[in-house]
Formats: sequence, C-alpha cells, structure tokens
Amino acid sequence: MPEPKRHDPILEIRGLRKSFGALAATDDVSLDLRPGEIHALIGPNGAGKSTLIKQIVGEIRPDAGSIRFEGQVIDGLDAAARARLGLARSFQVSSVIADFTALQNVMLAVAGASGAVFRFHRPALADRKLTEPALFHIEQAGLAGRHLVPAAALSHGERRKLEIAMALALRPRAFLLDEPMAGMGLEGGRQLTAILSDLRAEAPILLVEHDMDAVFALADRVSVLVYGRVIATGSVAEIRANPEVRRSYLGEEA
Amino acid sequence: MTLNRDTVVNLAILALLVATAIGAHVLGNGFTVTLATKAAIFGLAGVGLNLALGYGGLISFGHAAFFGIGGYVTGILASHAAAGTPVATLPFTVMGSNEMLGIWPMAMLAAGLAALVIGALSLRTWGVYFIMVTLAFAQMLYYFAISWPRYGGEDGLSFYVRNSFPGLNTFAPIQYFAICTTLLAVALVFTAVVTQSRFGLALQAARQNSQRTVALGIRPYAIRLTAFVLSGMIVGLAGSLYADLNRFVSPAMLSWHMSGEIMVFVILGGVGRLCGPVAGAALFILLEHVLGGVSDYWQALLGLLLLAIVLFAPGGLIGILTQRRRHA
Ligand SMILES: Nc1ncnc2c1ncn2[C@@H]1O[C@H](COP(=O)(O)OP(=O)(O)OP(=O)(O)O)[C@@H](O)[C@H]1O
Ligand SMILES: [Mg+2]
Repeated sequence: MPEPKRHDPILEIRGLRKSFGALAATDDVSLDLRPGEIHALIGPNGAGKSTLIKQIVGEIRPDAGSIRFEGQVIDGLDAAARARLGLARSFQVSSVIADFTALQNVMLAVAGASGAVFRFHRPALADRKLTEPALFHIEQAGLAGRHLVPAAALSHGERRKLEIAMALALRPRAFLLDEPMAGMGLEGGRQLTAILSDLRAEAPILLVEHDMDAVFALADRVSVLVYGRVIATGSVAEIRANPEVRRSYLGEEA
Repeated sequence: MTLNRDTVVNLAILALLVATAIGAHVLGNGFTVTLATKAAIFGLAGVGLNLALGYGGLISFGHAAFFGIGGYVTGILASHAAAGTPVATLPFTVMGSNEMLGIWPMAMLAAGLAALVIGALSLRTWGVYFIMVTLAFAQMLYYFAISWPRYGGEDGLSFYVRNSFPGLNTFAPIQYFAICTTLLAVALVFTAVVTQSRFGLALQAARQNSQRTVALGIRPYAIRLTAFVLSGMIVGLAGSLYADLNRFVSPAMLSWHMSGEIMVFVILGGVGRLCGPVAGAALFILLEHVLGGVSDYWQALLGLLLLAIVLFAPGGLIGILTQRRRHA
C-alpha cells in the first residue's frame, strides 16, 4: 500500500447506503474528512446524521458503500477495532460510565487505546500510565479539578466535556462528534466552541451540530444532509449562499 | 489500602466468622465450628459468583455447575484413591488423589474449562436469555450426574475419609475451618486486586455501559468471558471444599436450587460488595438454623427478607452497614 500523502483525506466515505425498511436513512453518501479541518455536518432532525456517524464507527453496518480511514478500508472491522485505530466518537446523548469518577472514565479510554486491558495485577488508580494521560486530557477538556467527581454527579455540560476528554484519550486520528453542544446553554456553548477549535490541532473533526453560530464559527467546510442525501458541500460562505440549502434547511436563519 | 468504612466492615465480618468458630471450638461445640466452616465455603462460592454477577453484571443462574464439578472432581479422585484404582487410563493414566493440594487445582481446572465452554456460548446472549442458557447448561450436567451410575447416580458418591493437607489434621473441625477460611481470604484478596486492576475497570465499565466501552476500543465479550472463567474456578474450589466437608457429593450440588442459593448469598450480602457474599452466606446459615428450628417454613421467611432487601436495601447487608451506595 502506498504511503498516504499529507493532504489525502483521513476519512473517505464512498457511496454509503443504509435503509431502515422503506426509509433511506443514508442515501448514497460520499464525504471526505481532510487533515486539519473541521467538517460540519448539518441537516434537519431525522436527516440521518447520527446514522451516518454510527456507520463510520462501526456500530451499524451499511447496506452498501465503503469507508477508508487513513488509506485503509475499514469495512470489515468492528467498532472496537476502529476505535483503536483512532476513530474517536462522542454520543448525541452523553454516554459515560455513570458510577465511575471522571478520572476513571478517561483512564478507561487510555486503557482501551493502549489495547492492553488484560492486566490483572496493579491497581488501575496507581498506574501512572493511565492516570497521567487521563489527568492531562481532563484538563485539556476543561474539567480540571473535577476528576474525582462521579460522572453521574457531573452537570450536563461537564459530561459533554468528559466525552471530549475520553475522545482525546483515544489518541484520535479523527473525531466524530455528534452534537457535542446539545443542551449546553450560551456560556457552555462558547466554552466548548473554544475547546473544539483547539481540538482541530489534534485531529480533524467531523462535527454534527445544530447550533449554527458554532458551525459558522468553527467549520472549514460544511455538508448539508437532507433525507439521507448530501445536497451540498462547501465553505461556510458557499453554504450560506446556496439557494437550495437556504430553502430546505437554513430558512430565515441565513 | 486505606482503612475506609468498607474495609472496616469487611474485616469485621471476617473477624466475626473467625471469632465464632474459635469460640465454639473453645467451648467444645464442634457442630457450630462446622456451621462456620459451611458459611466460609458458601461465602467462597458467593465471592466467586460475585465476580461475574456483581462486578460483571452477568446474571448466571447456572453456577451450581461449577460448584458441582468441583465437588465431583473431589469425590471421584478421593474414591479412586481409596480404592487404589486409576480414574482413567486413556489417553494417559490419571490416578486418584486424597491430597487437597492436588485436588484443588484439578477441581478449579475442570470448573474453569466448563466455565470457558458454557461462558463462550451463553455470553453470546444477554439479559433473560443469558439467565436461561446458563440454567440450561447446569441442568444438563445435573441430569447427566443423576443418570451416570458409575459415580453413584441419583444417590451421590460418598468417600469415607476426608482428604488430607500436609501438617494438618483435616478431621479436626477447627483445622478444616482454618483451611477453608484461609482460602476464602485468598479469594477475597484476589477479587479485590482484580476488580481494582485495568481488567476490573473494563469489566465494570462493560456492565454499566457496554456501548461506551466498545467505543473506547474494548470488546466486552473477551472481558466477560475471562471474568466468567475466573468466577467458575473460585466456585469450583468452593465445591471441592464442600465435598470434603460432607465427604459426600450428590447431584443436588449441581441443581438449580444450588445456583439460586449462591445467588441468594450475593444478594443478601450486597451485590458487587467484596465481603457481601460472606455476610450473606453467614446470615443464610444462621437463619437456616435459628428459623429452621422454629418452623419448617423458614424458607418463606427468607423469601420475605430477600424481598425486603431487594426493595429497600439493594446494597444488601454491606450496604446497610456502610450506609452508602456502591461506587465502582
Ligand atoms: N435503528 C433504527 N431503526 C429504524 N429507523 C431508524 C433507526 N435509527 C434511525 N432511524 C431513522 O432514520 C432517520 C435518521 O435518523 P438519525 O438519528 O440518523 O437522524 P439525525 O439526523 O441524527 O437526527 P437528529 O438531528 O434528530 O439527531 C430517522 O427518520 C430515524 O427515525
Ligand atoms: Mg442525531
């Protein structure tokens, strides 16, 4: 296999299809995620954004099409294998280990990324190979000082940040973030916008988001998904000017 | 290890068990020493199940299989040793044994292999199906034991001499109690270490949120299967000790009733609490002998108690004593 060039897409989605019964949730979707970019995926409720993310991470199988990640076809890999390759995901509805502290949650991510989970002897909390990176990523995600709080006791916004910290701990080659700002409020949203902007330096981001201010502030490129189809891809300015997008999605917001 | 409230309660439970046995021994009450031994053995079985059930969330209703296998391995080896006949001659000769140090690893190995097979198949299912599949496997072994005349069939298998341990007189109730309690303590330390390790972190994460665990690159199946095998091995050891306590094994050790009892120890004491199953087993035996003497309907009272615990104190006895919810 030839060495991937620097500007080659990290993630290449080609001709992806997924139907639930008669409903085409993903309808011939092709999409790239390039190094260093934030690629926003927008579209109305039920457009198929989450379904697309789930196919990329391997949680559900597409009916047709193919996905390459860093030049490698990953269609045959399960979700755990894809995560270990560095596909880091956050969930639309926060998904954390509720009884674990924030620290333990992120330590789990560090352990998962290392591939070495079958260690029975040393107490995890005394394992600096786990705790040190975990604390670092907790700080990076803006949760410094909250690491000993059980995830269940964190606020909604803090749990969203915890998801970011877990994604960072996977040593990601790409982030797939499904509405990371949902329910964050104005101030929380602003904070998270700054964090996501920094995240771009770690790895490119495929960002599903309804908050248009955040999308237009962050995105290098935007793709618009409607009824499972990508109706437009382009820069923020192009998307704002696109008449079809304005009609079918942005409405008076544009 | 810091001496937090959990540790204090755990140590107090073990101290109480040991004090009961020593007190009874001093008073010349061998029967009570044997009851305490039974509590230690049932506690060990509960500790084993707790690894799968409490920490892993694997609601196995078939752990009698491992308890019974441990028991039968012990009985079969001992009876062949007594008769001076080999257990098997093909593919290689296996002689009987009356040495506990030789019997325990065999019992644990056999139980572990069974757990590997049963776990590999049943862990492909989840929830109520998992409960049913584990139950079905245990019942298969139960009926096999009943219909296998060579080792007693329905009547079970007696061996008249308790197996031996170097330097100890295993017939002396207090000495056998010491053996069983030491193994219980080892199993508790093992569980404490394993559940706090990386593996333990992954096991408990997979119990709470399997989808998240997968998204972090960890496959729950392999983690759960490993926990299931370790759990089966500990329960197999308990079965071996129980066989030696009674110098008798029977299909009852393999029945769903036994699976249920081990589960009761765990629930009474506190699911996912280190010493919960020990407290649960001790309480169970206490109730059996106090209430059992008063009324034949003690099981109904036990049922009520279980109901009360599940509804009002899901942390079990340990939860009541430590006054807090479980944290991972
Ligand atoms: N497992 C499923 N079975 C059947 N239909 C499904 C399933 N998952 C999603 N759908 C349907 O597929 C369509 C796309 O859903 P999806 O969750 O991907 O939308 P979305 O763009 O993420 O929406 P939102 O913005 O509300 O999160 C919806 O009509 C949804 O009802
Ligand atoms: Mg969605």
